[in-house]
Amino acid sequence: MAEKAKKALKLPESGQWPDSVVPIALVGAAVFLVAGFLMAFLYASPVNGAALSEPVLVGDQMVTNVQLLSQKIFYFHMPVALVSFGALAFAGFYSVRFLMTKEQRFDTCTKIAMEIALLFVVLTMITGEMWTRFEWGLWWTWDPRLTTYLILMIIVIAYFILRNAIDDPERRATYGSVIAIIALVDVPICYMVTRVIPSSIHPVVLREGGMTGDMGMTVAVVMIGMIMLGFVLYRMRFRQVRLTQRVEAIKEQLED
Amino acid sequence: MNAVLVEIYSTVIPSAPYIIAAYALLLLVLFVYAFMIMRGTKKAEAQIAVLEEALAEKKAAK
Repeated sequence: MAEKAKKALKLPESGQWPDSVVPIALVGAAVFLVAGFLMAFLYASPVNGAALSEPVLVGDQMVTNVQLLSQKIFYFHMPVALVSFGALAFAGFYSVRFLMTKEQRFDTCTKIAMEIALLFVVLTMITGEMWTRFEWGLWWTWDPRLTTYLILMIIVIAYFILRNAIDDPERRATYGSVIAIIALVDVPICYMVTRVIPSSIHPVVLREGGMTGDMGMTVAVVMIGMIMLGFVLYRMRFRQVRLTQRVEAIKEQLED
Repeated sequence: MNAVLVEIYSTVIPSAPYIIAAYALLLLVLFVYAFMIMRGTKKAEAQIAVLEEALAEKKAAK
């Protein structure tokens, strides 16, 4: 019965339908990201965001907020951070699937999703650091959002260290799945911490309505591009890993 | 000039290196990762071609 259920299980494989979407997604990612970059510098207004002490007339517009040029980093910073959360959600999903089925293919998917998550976490850190250095005048501060995100990055790095430390594939996958789920648990904490701890100096644009229409539109365009890029990178890496696994399988056949 | 615009324009030159660095590093990291994937895929494809040939020869010899 269990064998039957295992046979009926449809495993993710390279060459399946998502791969046919990859070329379209790649073109889409390029178009959306270039458009988002141009919108960030040419379309999104530079005079929204931080509140002024009193409204000021600039040109023919009453301005109540002012944004510095460094704010242009935000248009890519926020989407890459959200994509890192999305990648961790996929990693968590595949981890649960592995723990339910003990099928190694799900562990492969978890590993690749964690890799994509690490990539986007690093991008978030890079863009965030550059913004922090200019806006706050320091490279690092123990702000709740920054601290929880650093913990998240450490958990993701720990996942790969743990994997490299265990030889037995089943144990490696089981422990890895647990770490991936722990990383996923940190995601809502990281996301909500600026709302839970009001003393946080990290901006909360979604709750406080800190984005105007043009800013929201720019973020949305970059967000779509980043989601597409994340998907493309995931499928490309999945194909490479499956090919490498096939190489190993043929090598074993030759040795027999 | 309006004081608000003066404040905005005064930040352009000092913040430019950080903005350029943020976007340049973002692109660099993405390109390095994509390059690593493409190189790994090419290597695996080349290995598969050779190994499959060797496997076919082994099977034919049996």
